[in-house]
Amino acid sequence: MHQSRGIRTLRTIAGWLVVGVFFFPIYFWTTVAFRNAKDIFNWPPIFVDFEPTARNFEQVFGISLGFGFGAQEAVTPGGGNFYMAPRLWDSIVIASMSTVLAIVVATLAAYCLSRMHFRGRHEFVNWVLSTRMMPPVAVAVPMFFIFKQFSLLDTYLGVILVHGLMNLPLAVLLMKSFFDDIPSEIDESALLDGASRWTIFRRIVLPMAKGGIAATAVLCFIFSWTEFLFVLTLTQTSIKTVPVVSSTFVTSIGTAWGNMAALGAAAIVPAFIVIMLVQRHLVRGLTMGSLKQ
Amino acid sequence: MKDSIRKGYLANITDKYVRGQMDRRDFLRFAGKLGLGASALGMGFGNRPFFGMSSAQAQEAYQPSPDVIAWLKDVGKPFAGTTLKLATESTPPSNAINSQLKKYFEEATGIKVEIEVLPLEQVLQKLTLDVASSLGTYDLYYIDQSWAASFSQDVFDPREQYSAKADLAMPNYNLDDFLPALVDGIAKYEDRWVGVPYDIPIFIMIYRKDIYEKLGLKAPATLEELYTNSKAITDQMGPNTYGYAGQMKSGHYALECEWTSFLWGHGGSIFNADKKFSGNDEQGIAALDYYSKLRAIMPPGVDGWTWDGQGQAVAQGVAASMLSWGEFFPYFDDPSQTKISGLCEAVVPPQPIALRTVKETGYGEIPGVGHQGGSSLAVSKYSKNPDAAWLFMQWATCADTQVGITVLGGGTGPTRSSVYDDPRIKANARVGAGTTRHLQVVRETIANHMGSEPDLPEWAQISSDTIPVGLGKYFAGGYGSSKEAMDDIAGQVEGILKG
Repeated sequence: MHQSRGIRTLRTIAGWLVVGVFFFPIYFWTTVAFRNAKDIFNWPPIFVDFEPTARNFEQVFGISLGFGFGAQEAVTPGGGNFYMAPRLWDSIVIASMSTVLAIVVATLAAYCLSRMHFRGRHEFVNWVLSTRMMPPVAVAVPMFFIFKQFSLLDTYLGVILVHGLMNLPLAVLLMKSFFDDIPSEIDESALLDGASRWTIFRRIVLPMAKGGIAATAVLCFIFSWTEFLFVLTLTQTSIKTVPVVSSTFVTSIGTAWGNMAALGAAAIVPAFIVIMLVQRHLVRGLTMGSLKQ
Repeated sequence: MKDSIRKGYLANITDKYVRGQMDRRDFLRFAGKLGLGASALGMGFGNRPFFGMSSAQAQEAYQPSPDVIAWLKDVGKPFAGTTLKLATESTPPSNAINSQLKKYFEEATGIKVEIEVLPLEQVLQKLTLDVASSLGTYDLYYIDQSWAASFSQDVFDPREQYSAKADLAMPNYNLDDFLPALVDGIAKYEDRWVGVPYDIPIFIMIYRKDIYEKLGLKAPATLEELYTNSKAITDQMGPNTYGYAGQMKSGHYALECEWTSFLWGHGGSIFNADKKFSGNDEQGIAALDYYSKLRAIMPPGVDGWTWDGQGQAVAQGVAASMLSWGEFFPYFDDPSQTKISGLCEAVVPPQPIALRTVKETGYGEIPGVGHQGGSSLAVSKYSKNPDAAWLFMQWATCADTQVGITVLGGGTGPTRSSVYDDPRIKANARVGAGTTRHLQVVRETIANHMGSEPDLPEWAQISSDTIPVGLGKYFAGGYGSSKEAMDDIAGQVEGILKG
């Protein structure tokens, strides 16, 4: 389709404007991470011309050469520190493991729901969907009691289980829709050739659904990465994830915006890496099912 | 170079560095010429200076009393191996104990202390869950003064603990040393002590002395002067600098705090002697009209500021004064954090136009322009280790530890009378990070100008939601008049009290 030069230019400008609107908050937040405290609230605001500093990152991750790795610098009145490197690790462990848990269980469940015909199958799918309708806060308090009884409070296992279970309904439904898009005739042909269900699932269907698994895994990872309520309720001093510790930059005499921005900017990186790793499959997964043969 | 000359030169450049008159690179270069590395100076890169010292040096300056340590070693033995848990807001005392002081307690007793630092709202959530479950996941409770009534039956009264367990009582702990006004305002509900006063943020008047002098103004002695001074500054220096910054975020507790100061300062009160909401009476309306008048000369955007934004406005030179928490003062004096180090002065809050007596109010409300916040520390009744927790609580709130907290905590206000007179505290009453030069103002405000919120179980909801939401709606133009706004809030409060 032919477009005039003017229209093309306007479209390009509009495109960059949209990109700018989405990118600007990330840019500004990231620059806050590189500013001294006294340069953050300048009025009128400074967007470019400020003296950059890595101090906020040094304080949050203890990676300054002057301190050595793992040093905990006193930055709050009273000498408290904002050393959060272990908390970033907590987030990585919990998000990764809960994603693995959700994907393993959801893939198996979704395959059954997609391929096997049993009584109450549709009701089961509806029931899975209904578990997403319950407000998390209604579950958090009973979870606290149960976890206390089973000594799961403040443990990796506890939070991984909760995040895994939280993601399970969505993962099952997504994976089921991906499996549904793979023609069942393939399974039937393989069955005629003597393949077992497990072999068909592992050798044939699973490789074909790689894109869907990647898309589902990314969503599970991001949900876990950003989840706040369950981690707040079910942890104490041993472990914490990035969203919960981000709130601890709020102190009685103000908010450490620079440190908060440093942790926030750094927290984008692992999620970004995960998305990059599965990007090739992700695009395919997200568009899977959009075209029916 | 003679050692004395070298030390003198070092002291000189250190002073310049702390005052922000020399950058770190130059400081280290000069120090290097003196043959001193950063580590030898105890000034690792970027360490926050406390009273002109690095935190490491400040910690060296404070050593716990040998008597206290000896007592801890004596009574703590049976509890060695116990783990205590406390959830607390990130306040200077909690930070000082958590990061620098608890090691003394742990080494002496063998008791491990785990402190979970959270924003205030999350502390409340954790405590509520702990009380509701009676599981004792926390051994000690950090209780904000507005929650005292709610948790009064869930903690031990420290007076009873002290007398009932003589073998665990710290010698010279002296419960009478706690400032009486704080015991009444923070730690008491009806006849019970809900812990002991742990920290005391309180409203004092902080103003830019340089701006006031430039315009020929004197520190505001009355609320009317606060307005006229602030208006004069805004008229002459706005929009670059405004006369006053408020904490007026709609729906936030901060708005309620500032409003109560003006309400009390106009002879009003939140509740009257009949325990009815009285913010809508004649004095209450006058107070809200005053607040509106003051709002008009504040910086734009103040409707979105809590005390955090208010403090930033002063720190950045956007505003020339504020009536707010005294804890901000050492922060303003810190040259590494703000542009106004040494330019601020602290005075007691402006005199009220009129003031009700306690008898004329309800639910133990104490009128006074110096709005008092603060918290108490108490042992949970559900704790599995109440005796070990009691030991920790006595140590954390004894006079010697409070000196350490004030020294290491950046000039935070102590809750014990004797600590204000301690020579280690007085020695730091000079310009610089962690200054204590405002503490006598804090002390006088506690004694003579303190206003304390009412104690009732519903207060947490009323103070953090009902009143600030209503006030926010008023300042956003949601009501036709101040009277209409206050009448609506009164109706909501009465509805809550009726259940």
